Amino acid sequence: MTIPVKIEHLFKTYTRRRLLGKNWEKPVLKDVSLTLEENHVLGLVGESGCGKSTLCKVLLGIEKPTSGLVTANGKDVARLSKSEFKKLRRVMQVVYQDPYSSLDPRMNVRQILSEPLDIHGLKKDRRERNEFLKELLASVGLSETQLERYPHEFSGGQRQRICIARALTLDPKILVADEPVSALDVSVQAQILNLLKEIKKSRRLSVLFVTHDFAVARFLCDDIAVMYRGRIVERAPAEDLFTRPQHPYTQALLSAVPSVRAAGLVPAAAEPSREYPERENWACPFAARCSHAQPACADTPFELKEVLPHHACACCVLPFKKTKSKPEV
Amino acid sequence: MTQPDEPILEVRDLKIEFSTEEGLLPVLHGLSYTLSKGRVLAVVGESGSGKTVHALSILRLLPPTAHISGGEIRYKGKNLATLSRAELRKIRGNKISMIFQDPAASLNPVLTIGEQLTETLLAHRKMSKEAARARAAELLEKVGIADAEKRLREYPFQFSGGMCQRVMIAMALALEPDVLVADEPTTALDVTVQAQILKLIKQLQRQSGMSAVFITHNLAVVAGIADDVLVLYAGQCMEQAPAAELFARPLHPYTQGLLSSLAPVHEKVDILPVIKGHPPVPGQLPKGCSFAPRCPYATDKCRQERPPLFEENGRFTRCWLREGK
Repeated sequence: MTIPVKIEHLFKTYTRRRLLGKNWEKPVLKDVSLTLEENHVLGLVGESGCGKSTLCKVLLGIEKPTSGLVTANGKDVARLSKSEFKKLRRVMQVVYQDPYSSLDPRMNVRQILSEPLDIHGLKKDRRERNEFLKELLASVGLSETQLERYPHEFSGGQRQRICIARALTLDPKILVADEPVSALDVSVQAQILNLLKEIKKSRRLSVLFVTHDFAVARFLCDDIAVMYRGRIVERAPAEDLFTRPQHPYTQALLSAVPSVRAAGLVPAAAEPSREYPERENWACPFAARCSHAQPACADTPFELKEVLPHHACACCVLPFKKTKSKPEV
Repeated sequence: MTQPDEPILEVRDLKIEFSTEEGLLPVLHGLSYTLSKGRVLAVVGESGSGKTVHALSILRLLPPTAHISGGEIRYKGKNLATLSRAELRKIRGNKISMIFQDPAASLNPVLTIGEQLTETLLAHRKMSKEAARARAAELLEKVGIADAEKRLREYPFQFSGGMCQRVMIAMALALEPDVLVADEPTTALDVTVQAQILKLIKQLQRQSGMSAVFITHNLAVVAGIADDVLVLYAGQCMEQAPAAELFARPLHPYTQGLLSSLAPVHEKVDILPVIKGHPPVPGQLPKGCSFAPRCPYATDKCRQERPPLFEENGRFTRCWLREGK
């Protein structure tokens, strides 16, 4: 059985050539290693600009890795020929954040859902295709009467259902979901999350789920990786991460999640977290915002190591010191 | 703070319509509330519920296709809905100011932060450029931007999303308004930044005794900062109550549905309870209660007759189930 997605020591640096002088370089992913297990949902959580979406792009083959190995379904995505890539697309599909810009406004639902089938030469028989499209729509909670409609006639939630249906047309094994619910209303979010959970189960999908919302991640994910400035700072089975968050960054993120339980109170972490600009060049990427930082954080090399069974964390202070501000979980 | 009950903004039976090719489309059907001095009112609703249109109408910033078709928006006795443009200009940004969802799009990309901040000050106050500049720097520091003098010379693209929103807040607070209208001010921001911005708004609001109308689609966001919550659905107020009471005991089935559909971060659940169906399309409201088609408790009466707002213990609920309670 091939592992759906395996990423090893992935580095990605965006460079811009300059005519004179040194090239402009922006390292976005630094030594990222991740494994998406069969029939699991791996949540990738982090703030904007941390490299979540770049990781998706590299995995989907839209960007080339600077170094490191990215395999999807056992294939090295950076070294695939065009025809091999086309084959991989049948196995790995994607749902994006914004359901408004990811559908062509001039195509109706039938055309949108047929396009992948045409490209791959599937379900050519008209009646067979019709049946297939109807079933597909029903599986994402839309009705067949909506096949001839255009994207502008649908609400945000319905459009996201169409995007999900489009991703499922080729019956993939791997689904990359880049913030699929963050553009939606809360009540609609719940519907789409339930739908994703259901299709993951019924189709035995392996999902890489990118989000910045821990509440959403807790609902859907089996494993979670927390990313900060292009590095994985903590990686653990979901329940473990929520009950025993280890990294100060994870703890800060968790306590910043707004919750109705905290009604009447501003959540504790709403403290404008202090910044320590002088620690900008320390070895630990989080040191500049960390209230637990020690002198050792300045030069202890960054390392993600197992601190609990299956639970890896990249904080050099942690093993020596109990963390003070435990978020209420 | 002065007497807490002094009303500062009174909205009475506010109606807003859009003109479309098919005719007039009502999107807000008689909204009423009173905002007292020093209070924060959260207006919560899904997209299409009329919450943004309502926010824009307060300062008459509606798009040309929309207009106020009835009702009043009273600020200190003046009806903003009918005020002359010149009078309105004195209030905009000065007495009532606004911050928007997308901070990066609300700033002018070709002007420095300093130019934009001083513009507001110079437009409403008689002060020298130097004084305005000094005041602008002071404001930036107040919203937590370090190195203000240098930052004033920078452009919006040099600021992150959270920093842009801080600039917007500084601009909105520059003239010490009585009312701040915040339309989804943290929706485009990361959770940690969101927490910081919410705390900042709350802190500044307490310091100055300002009132605020806070528009959002996420009930959890306002849990920490609102005094009162008004739940909008299909252009109508469904429930209005003090925040603590609303979260402890939501009375309207819609509010209950909204609250339970929030994914909890404190526990793992297998399935999220959802409100079935979709909100009605504007102009095609059901005959009875607009929430009846999606309501698990709906009776024949709910489907036939529009419920009024029922009052009990200072709370208002538009639901037949609360009749006579």
